[in-house]
Parts: sequence; structure tokens; C-alpha cells
Amino acid sequence: MGVAANGGHPGGTFSCTDILVALYYGGILHFDPHNPHWDERDRFILSKGHGGLALYPILADLGFFPISELESFGSVFGINPDNINVPGVEINTGSLGRGLGIGAGLSLSGKIDRKDFCTVVVLGDGECYEGSVWEAALFAAHHELNRLVAIIDYNGISALDFTKNVVRQEPIEDKWKAFGWNTVSINGHSFPEILRVLKDIHDPKSNKPLAVVANTIKGKGVSFMENNPSWHLGVPQGDELETARKELS
Amino acid sequence: MKQEFRDVLFSEIQRVAAADSRVMVLTADMGAIELTKFKERFREQYINVGIAEQSGISIAAGLALRGKIVFVYGIIPFITLRCFEQIKVDLCSMKLPVTIIGIGAGFAYGLDGPTHHAIEDIAVMRALPEMTIFSPSDPVSVEQVTRMAYAIPGPKYIRLDKGTYPVIYKAEHDFSLGLAVHRKGEDVTIVSTGTLVHKALAVSDELAKHGVSCGVVDLYRIKPVNAGLLLHVIEGSKLVATLEDHSIIGGIGSIISEVLADNRISMPLKRIGIKDHYSFRYGTTEQLHFLHGLDVNTVTKVICESLREL
Repeated sequence: MGVAANGGHPGGTFSCTDILVALYYGGILHFDPHNPHWDERDRFILSKGHGGLALYPILADLGFFPISELESFGSVFGINPDNINVPGVEINTGSLGRGLGIGAGLSLSGKIDRKDFCTVVVLGDGECYEGSVWEAALFAAHHELNRLVAIIDYNGISALDFTKNVVRQEPIEDKWKAFGWNTVSINGHSFPEILRVLKDIHDPKSNKPLAVVANTIKGKGVSFMENNPSWHLGVPQGDELETARKELS
Repeated sequence: MKQEFRDVLFSEIQRVAAADSRVMVLTADMGAIELTKFKERFREQYINVGIAEQSGISIAAGLALRGKIVFVYGIIPFITLRCFEQIKVDLCSMKLPVTIIGIGAGFAYGLDGPTHHAIEDIAVMRALPEMTIFSPSDPVSVEQVTRMAYAIPGPKYIRLDKGTYPVIYKAEHDFSLGLAVHRKGEDVTIVSTGTLVHKALAVSDELAKHGVSCGVVDLYRIKPVNAGLLLHVIEGSKLVATLEDHSIIGGIGSIISEVLADNRISMPLKRIGIKDHYSFRYGTTEQLHFLHGLDVNTVTKVICESLREL
């Protein structure tokens, strides 16, 4: 899709793909592709909207819309998903630092209305530079939104450089803990680990929201993209494209 | 006892909340007498998000996505400019029923300085697609636009002044037109908004003493503008003047000039507002109005000069 439309963010897309696959195919999220506005559904927010290329094929494969509509990427579908055109997408994304606040509002509405749905928000680590993320983190802990889950796609690379060279984020898990969240660090490419830490989100044993620091590799699955800051943006061409296709298949 | 505008507004929100449990009020750590009463009456429908306007707007959006009808309250520069992107994307791009209540129009926070002065908000908020903007001038209009904000879909912004102001509308006034003609004038029509409407009426009285026939229009709905009615009203005058406690750039003076240009109407326009600079003078609202040429005498003089130049 990205190649056809000549645009996308492959690095951050591949770093969160395994997380999205686990959420949608691993029995974590409750949803109904034929009734995407079902009120009891879990809410999934890809706050790092530039990873949208990981989300569209999953939604299409699950039946939210016909797979043939993926061809409209670059026209009806953009890099950053919107809820105007794409069934299954909860909110409009693109600008960073908003998904956790919206997720907190959704989660609070569920708590007020005595609903059991969960809200899962995937954030980029670069996104965590936005102060609004931490405003929302404070709010969620204060209001004991224990059906709210933040998964940080912790690939260690922001738009231009490694985060350790941009503005240091470590110790990231301690920061979420200090904000009043339950925390856990996992390998964000291990399905067993992802499923293990998320299996009880519908039956929370604590009043705290859950932050999962998912250690990931930017550009995961394509050797020349992996851990390479220059593949935040870009479209593989020629031999690169062949190599990428071979390695991903 | 006269109520402050914000108390009139939160009284009205209590009335709608009594019949609709979907109504929620979020405050960015700002209070009001009637907001405290709302909190006591509707405990689960009240949230203080803290001095955190950005996440406050996002939280409001999340609540609205599940059917809540949300009001978010804060001081104008912070609840509009600090969180402008959240208003744009979370509220406007998703057309969510969230009303932003901004307190402190113009120099209402005169002693607090330019961080608290609200002189750019109309310009930026009216640039947002889907946004409806109300700027009421008296307690009756505050009550009515609050009820309209509750009832109509999409994002809304209510620009409120601080303090108390006298009633100028009858209780049964129809506010659906977006503007009200208080007086018709053959020489000049002043288009104003918010509590500057009271000043426009005083200027009209002064001009009458000089034999000048001056009309007054209250543009209480800034967006969408009822351009047809506005043109019908102002075309009967030799001069149209705008009077606002907002930057001369992007406010209602700009709106009138756009309406005139878009309709290929050429008529003299005098825009009276706050010049293109920040004010580092401190004082009461009236003192700052005087310093910035928004007092009755100066406005009267400026309009007389503009009429002489015709």
C-alpha cells in the first residue's frame, strides 16, 4: 500500500505490527466487524497514527471493510487513520499526544455508565515527548481507570534519531509507575509475552491503569530498516523493495 | 442580586442536566458559584481535570464519543490557544458535541496582563471548520446561547465576559437569527459583540446628542454569521463601524469586511478594536479600554471623524 501510494512510515509501522496482530487475533480485543459501533466493544486507539499501515490490513482481513478497499490507500485512506472513512477506526489521528487523553475520556465514560469494555491505546515512544501524554497519564491514575491500557511501542527511535540522543526517556517504566500506573516491560515482538500481560485486562485486579512498555525494533522484519533511524519515513525502491518483500513473506 | 455571566450559564447547565444525565462539565481548575452547585447536584457529571487544558479537551472528546454532551470551562487564552490542536482534531475534525466555555473576553483579566488577555481567540476559533461561536452580551443571551449550545450538534465556543451586565433582551427574544438589531441608524451602524454591545449603545446615545443617527447590532453568534441579515441591516447606513474587545486582526471587523467583499458591496467601514500589539499596562477592564481607545468618548470621537471623512 505504501509503495503504491509512495508514502508511509515503515519503521514505526513494522515496530507495532506484532502488537496489533496480538490484540486483534489473540482474543484480547472484543469487537464485531459487522457492527463496528457496538457499544460493548473494546476501544482500540492507534495514537501513533503514522503506524496506520499496520492497522488497515488487519481491519480489512477481519471484515470491517472489503480487502479490495485497501487499494484506496492514498486517496480515501491516508497514512493516519480517520474515523470518517475507515470502519473500525475509533478516532482521527496524526498529530501526536492525543490518543491517551481520548482513551481516558472513553474509559471514564464506561466507568460512569458501568460498562465493562476496555480501552487500549498504542503510543509511540517519540510521542511520549508530548506533555499531553503525561497530563492524561495523571488523570487516568487519579480516576482509577483500570480498564485503560497504554502500550508504548518502545523502539528507541524518534523521527530523526535514537531517543537517547534526542531527549533521554529512561527509565521509562519507572516514569509510568511514578504516575500511578501498573507497569510491565515485555518483548513487543513476542506473541506469548504480549498475550500474557494483556489476558486479564477485562478482569482487572487493581484500581490502576496498565502501562506496557513493549520493547520493539523499529523497522522489524526488514533487515535494512531494522533499528535504522533513516527509515522513519520512506518507501523502498527497486532492490530494496524486493528484499523487503522477500524478508517479510 | 445580579448574577455573573458564568453563574447564569452554569445555572442553565444545571437546568439541562436535571433532565439529561448525558450532560457533563469539565473544568480546567476554574470555579464559579453555580458550578459548585452543579458539582454538588451532579457529582458524577462534574470533573476537574486540573490545569491541563490539552488533555482536558481530549478527555471531553472521549466522553463525547460515547454520547456524553460535554461542556469544558477555562480562561479563554488557555482553553482556546493552549489546546488549539486538540480542539481542531479531537473536536472539530470529529464533529463532537463539546462546548468550550471561555471566561474573560478581551481585557476582562486586566490586572493579569497579556497572558490572560483574550484578544486573538475569535480570529483563531472562527478559522476552525465545524465550530459555532457565541458571544453573548447580557444575562438573557447567556442563558439562551447556553441552551442552544446544549441542543445543537458539533463543537461550540461560548466567549464569556466576567462580571455582571444589565439585561438588554426580553426573555422571549428569538436568538436563532444570530444577530439582533437594537437600533437602526441612517448615518452609522455599529456592529459589536459581547459586552461591548453595551458600550455601542452608550456611543449611540452620545452620537444622538450630536445629531448623528447611529444603529447598533449585537452579533451574538460570530460563526456562522447571518450574512444576509447583516447586509440588510448595515446597507441602510452611510458608514458601518465595528466595536470589539479583540485584536483588529481577525475579529468581527474582519468578518464584516469579508462579508462586504464576498458580496461585492463597497461601503465605508471603520474597524475599532485592539491594535496589533500586546498590552503590558495593568488595571481594570475600563482603564484598559480607555488606554486602548475603547471608551465611549474615544469611540464616539472616532466615529464622528470617520463620518466627516465620508
